[in-house]
Amino acid sequence: MKYFTKTLKILAVILICGACMLPFFILLILSLNTPKRIFYEGNMFVPDFYFHNYIDAWVQSQIGTAIINSAVITIVSLLIILACSGMAGYAIARFGGRFNNMVFGIFLCCMMIPGIINTVPLYTLMRKIHAINTLWGMALVCASLALPAATFIFTGFVKSLPRDIEEAAIIDGCTWFSAFWRVTFPLLKPCISAVIILNGFGIWNNYAQAVFFLQDRSKQNIPQAISIFFQQFAGAKWNLMAATAVIAVIPVVAAFLFLQKQLMKGLTAGALKG
Amino acid sequence: MIKAKKTGLHTFMAVPAFLLFALFFIYPLTRGIQMSLTDWDGLSPAKFIGFRNFIDFFSDERAISDIKTTVLFALCSAPLLNIVGLIYALLMNAEFKGKGLARGIIYLPAVISPLIMGYIWYFLLQPGRGFLFHALDLVGMSSLLGNWMGKYSSAMMVLIIVNVWQYAGMTMVIYLAGLQSIPEELYESAKIDGAGSWQIFRYVTIPLLMPSIRINIVTNIIGSLSVFDIVMSLTGGGPGYSTETLSIYIMRMCYGSKTGYSTAVALILFVIILVPVAVSMRMTRSKD
Repeated sequence: MKYFTKTLKILAVILICGACMLPFFILLILSLNTPKRIFYEGNMFVPDFYFHNYIDAWVQSQIGTAIINSAVITIVSLLIILACSGMAGYAIARFGGRFNNMVFGIFLCCMMIPGIINTVPLYTLMRKIHAINTLWGMALVCASLALPAATFIFTGFVKSLPRDIEEAAIIDGCTWFSAFWRVTFPLLKPCISAVIILNGFGIWNNYAQAVFFLQDRSKQNIPQAISIFFQQFAGAKWNLMAATAVIAVIPVVAAFLFLQKQLMKGLTAGALKG
Repeated sequence: MIKAKKTGLHTFMAVPAFLLFALFFIYPLTRGIQMSLTDWDGLSPAKFIGFRNFIDFFSDERAISDIKTTVLFALCSAPLLNIVGLIYALLMNAEFKGKGLARGIIYLPAVISPLIMGYIWYFLLQPGRGFLFHALDLVGMSSLLGNWMGKYSSAMMVLIIVNVWQYAGMTMVIYLAGLQSIPEELYESAKIDGAGSWQIFRYVTIPLLMPSIRINIVTNIIGSLSVFDIVMSLTGGGPGYSTETLSIYIMRMCYGSKTGYSTAVALILFVIILVPVAVSMRMTRSKD
């Protein structure tokens, strides 16, 4: 009986994993078919291994530019998030005071508001400051959406560290400000990786804001480029569409494999603190 | 203990975060409330029209159908995500070979852009041409899928299934963290007291899992009520406007030069999200 339930469980795990991988396999197969092959003629599990699709897709979809744009947006906004919310979390946890507590209260209230709520008025603001179709504008928008949750995580983490570490640094001649950057910030590593993981993929994949703020073809991020490229073909040229999707997915999967260990740790650290 | 001096650089450390947030979030939010009371089209001067936008919204059939779609999507998607995620977590909490790999595979879809994921599923499910359609055709069951895109009920079902498929891994990871923080002794002492496995689950696991349940419910409610990407790529709101959600409606109205109106819709969506979040926060408050 015990043996039976165990095999049943393992079978369930295999089935679930299979269901999770299936779309990716099919995407790969599709991306390797020749343009002439109509969808799944013949044996649909055996592609034509027509790698030329990838070159065509790369050239026609301008996905290369989009990948660079997405990377710039993601890195810049992560740096802003880490610097701003790290400092804010430190100030809130260590000094308190009316202003710091007010900032914390506001962030706590706004943490539950999804970005779509204020995107339209934000669009008019962005037009006024000429931030539409700029990477820095998009990076600032993404960063501002992530600030409350990140600050919340940092505050919790700094509180769990003893005050002595900064006091020791201050006796050695640091100010409270430099003590943060020299002593506390390096100790926040688990928290930093949690914030990067919780926000990085979301910013990389952002579409709901990109559709408003990145309309220029040279400034598109990945989802925006994919959506426009796919709408052009509207159902035809599946081989090129699939190849583009594979190219777009590769960086994320690579980052995921690279970060997987920290990812599980970071997610749980971030989630249970929050 | 060294007291921090009243002034110095450190007193201003929360300022950058606050300024950035005030400019890009709070200011637009307050502007949005003002704009929602005008007929602004994005270009010409705005005229104050009171609550006309809100009245228009509730008398627009398309808008009412969008509310229904959004709420129905969330009502199915959020509980299903929690249940499936919890089942996955209970399965994955056991010790077996390749546990890490399996967890990784299940989590993988959650890091892919939901827009791209929607297109990938479209390749699989497209009526008459998709992969699953052909696979079912081989065994003579293609009628099972039929023209799902032509009907509201089946299009909604596909949207919900794809959403649950993509994000169950995310819910699972948070439940796993919760499960692993429950000390083994509690299970053992419950067993000694003669509790069955259902009783242990009900009276030990669930109460101690409350923090994880709370996070998952709240994030899933917010996520599914503001769903955007996956609907855009999978059905584009069709057939007609029947599976259009409120966030897509906001975007389309904004592009349709109804800027004032779309901010009013955004405020309505805000209330629709706020109420269930507040209720579920109250209900899952840990009683200690």
